[in-house]
Amino acid sequence: MQNISKSISILPLAEEKPQRLRFLSSLDLGLAVSALLLAVIGLATVHSASAEMTVDYFPRQAAWVGIGLVLLLAAVSIDYHVLLDLSIVLYALGLISLVAVLFIGVERGGAANWIQIGPWQFQPSEFAKLATALFLARYLASINSRFLDLRQIFTVVLIVGLPIVLVAIEPDMGGAAMYSPLVAGMLLVAGVRMRLLVTAALIAILLGAGVWAVGMKPYQRQRVLTFLYPESDPLGAGYQVRQSKIAVGSGELVGKGYMQGTQSQLRFLPARHTDFILAVLAEEWGFVGVLTVLGLYILYIRSAARIAMRARDRAGILLVAGLLSVTCFHVLYNSAMVVGYLPITGIPLPFLSYGGSFTMVSFIATGIILGVDLRRYVNR
Amino acid sequence: MRVVREHRDDLVARIRVLAALVTGLIAVIAVGFWFVQLVRGDEYRQLAEENRLRKLPIKAPRGLIYDRQGRLLVENIPSYNLMLDRSRSADLGKAVRFAAGVLGLPPDELRGILDRYRGIPAFTPVLLAENLTLAQVSRFGVISLEYPEFDVEVQHLRLYRHGAQTAAFLGYLGEVTQDEIESSEGLYKPGDLVGKKGIEQTYDAVLRGVDGERAVVVDSRGELLDEFGRQQAVPGTTLKLTIDLELQQEAARWLEGPEKVGAIVAMDPRNGEILALVSSPGYNSNLFARRLQVNDWKALLEDPYHPLQNRAIQNTYSPGSTFKIIMATAGLTEGVFNEHTRVFCGGAGTFYGRSFRCWKRGGHGSVDARGALKNSCDVYFYTLGQRMGIEKIGRYSRMFGLGELTGIDIKGEKKGLVPSQEWSLKARGFKWYPGETISVSIGQGPVLMTPLQMASMTAMIANGGYRVTPHLVQDADVPAPVHVPLDASALKIVREGMWAVVNEPGGTAYNSARVPGAEMAGKTGTVQVIAQAQRTEAKALPFKYRDHAWFTSFAPLDNPEIVVAVFAEHGGSGSKSAAPIAQAIHAKYFKIDLHPAAR
Repeated sequence: MQNISKSISILPLAEEKPQRLRFLSSLDLGLAVSALLLAVIGLATVHSASAEMTVDYFPRQAAWVGIGLVLLLAAVSIDYHVLLDLSIVLYALGLISLVAVLFIGVERGGAANWIQIGPWQFQPSEFAKLATALFLARYLASINSRFLDLRQIFTVVLIVGLPIVLVAIEPDMGGAAMYSPLVAGMLLVAGVRMRLLVTAALIAILLGAGVWAVGMKPYQRQRVLTFLYPESDPLGAGYQVRQSKIAVGSGELVGKGYMQGTQSQLRFLPARHTDFILAVLAEEWGFVGVLTVLGLYILYIRSAARIAMRARDRAGILLVAGLLSVTCFHVLYNSAMVVGYLPITGIPLPFLSYGGSFTMVSFIATGIILGVDLRRYVNR
Repeated sequence: MRVVREHRDDLVARIRVLAALVTGLIAVIAVGFWFVQLVRGDEYRQLAEENRLRKLPIKAPRGLIYDRQGRLLVENIPSYNLMLDRSRSADLGKAVRFAAGVLGLPPDELRGILDRYRGIPAFTPVLLAENLTLAQVSRFGVISLEYPEFDVEVQHLRLYRHGAQTAAFLGYLGEVTQDEIESSEGLYKPGDLVGKKGIEQTYDAVLRGVDGERAVVVDSRGELLDEFGRQQAVPGTTLKLTIDLELQQEAARWLEGPEKVGAIVAMDPRNGEILALVSSPGYNSNLFARRLQVNDWKALLEDPYHPLQNRAIQNTYSPGSTFKIIMATAGLTEGVFNEHTRVFCGGAGTFYGRSFRCWKRGGHGSVDARGALKNSCDVYFYTLGQRMGIEKIGRYSRMFGLGELTGIDIKGEKKGLVPSQEWSLKARGFKWYPGETISVSIGQGPVLMTPLQMASMTAMIANGGYRVTPHLVQDADVPAPVHVPLDASALKIVREGMWAVVNEPGGTAYNSARVPGAEMAGKTGTVQVIAQAQRTEAKALPFKYRDHAWFTSFAPLDNPEIVVAVFAEHGGSGSKSAAPIAQAIHAKYFKIDLHPAAR
């Protein structure tokens, strides 16, 4: 792999000032504004969702958003080529933190996937995902062909496979699965032949069927069925789906009003400040509120896609594409889950859901994307 | 040219396709929201308004508790609570007046209760009254259409069939505390009742079972329309205790009434099974089964004799002359004295330049080991103690389990105190006085033990030197008996001396403890509360200045089956107040009628 930052000429000092001025004017407004608005809506909804809880999560989430904004500015100011050069180090650090969590992890909800540093807890898997995105972008940028060959795909799978295995043995299967949109998005953009995609899909189906038929014990099959058909678990997942749909549906066109959602205020909704934050919003602001939020996500996604398409180099395109894939997946899955179309699993909504690590990582990713955009003219 | 080299157009084209795909998917999801919120919105709004979907707990019935003969000690009985959902009330004032009428209470009392619930959301049902009669339950059932805000809830209460008589080992239930919830690893939820003392506490995890849950659809009056799912409760495990109810009741009766303070432990020396365990004054476990009344709680806390303390395991006392059992065994095992060694008692002896009196002013003359035990001769044991020294006395005390927990399966046990030179320096900051060894030799001074330790120690004499773990639940996981290196012939001599105490004329309990046909052996103990010089006749002293009385015993002499230790706080002398209690318990155990003439 060539050294990316050295391959571009460093600007003379004299041009430092105009570049600074350009900083704000050429910041992509669509991306920045949609992220900020979503975070503000998220703060208001987290406050409402936790009104009947013992803790108001609003101040904490406000702190996370504040820290996130600082991290965003830091990410914007660093040239992404420097980040790509450092990516091997960051990736290694990410792996080390995932190994560390196996030994000193704090357990929350079944999996010991948190590291406690002083009063702070964070999830290394979120940060490791970011480092993996950088490392993958650097590797894929070095490939100069229309489509990836098998050896290259295998290398990609290896790079992403290491953190996935480490997260999976925590055991946090959901967290491990969250690496797949990252690798899928980057592979698709980097180029995978249709022939190969079809073959891979067929193999996956056959493999899945094989595992189901011979490799699974009856209780494991039951678990998969419960995930796919929550009605079969009326006290657990089925109950949550129903309550979420009642919350969403009863919001109707304009909602019941802020802090007036009976479903959320009556504590019927589980995980309402995290995974089901959109149900709270849908109940209190109705279809109008949902459309607003989904519209903001479309603005965010299209802005980021535009940034990717006009990025200066292959590395920038792939980096933005990878980070964006993760966001897209979270938005699609979470919103479909809340309205009852997908099985329930712990996938939060970027900028809206309460959560320190995820909020920070979402802001850092946005900062990196904005940074890619800022540097699109640098070597002209 | 760069564009071609990096195949930029390909990447851009792919991103364009993917972005369009994602936008399309979000649009599909938006249609999904439109369907749920606008097409089916009315339906869901109605469901939400009526809060029709609820999760209701199914309480697991708590395990029953039986005695060793299968007699029921603790059961569960239904009790009816009146709940009020204020959010459903059209006219709260009218509802309160109606409820007051049915319950026969002044309306102001109910309003006072409601005032206390002010901070709780209106839709959360609140408890208005407990323990409704069946007539009252049916009144509230009949008017449920007119007053949908009322709901009668069935709750299962613990009923302790023998109330205070069994409280010392059964304990009681109480609402779980925040600390208990946090340390329970998910076992407890807020509002749960958990064991706070005794068997109810130690065996809470098996007694409580696992609560179930059901999701139901209810109508606006709270009536059940449909069950959406159910997870059955797993009932708690039934426990069979080692306690013998008849023996327990016999023992409890002896310590009922005013100025009856103390503890009784009856145990099988062969395996540590507790047959009876009494602490007095006690409390009625049933008081805690309902919400505890403030006055009852205050009375328990303010009682100068602390009824909540389990005197059998939590209070430590000087053993008095019962300590001579340990002294004799130690002296004979060590070979300091042999069974024929005689000591002359002239009513007092001089040790370390100070005169120590025997309890018998006139003296016992020349006594050997058996005689010293039978007569409880102080001078014999002063002499033995001086020869052994405090370290050896301490070592043997520990061999008998003093200064250590017995390991009984109820919580709160105290270790007591075994003195040593090291202890004196550490705890008191000064050196052990040799003169104190003389006092300790007759069980006075800084040596302390619980009534349970007394029973445990006596069991070792009875069973030939095996340390057994006292326990209350049959089939409990108890450690195997541990053999302690005590000389078998020494133990035999001590047993014979104890037999003489009860069965030979002149023995300290000859008149007060003999059980014809039971071959019972025992040892009296009297612990001075105030110095000899200040005392007058026992009866004339105010209660709190009277001596403490001990009597510890086993029977029969050969292959003993039962140990009974009795402690009467301020009871007077061991032979007069404690021995007759042990006598009655042994008689009950062996089904011997002590007063055939009275028939």
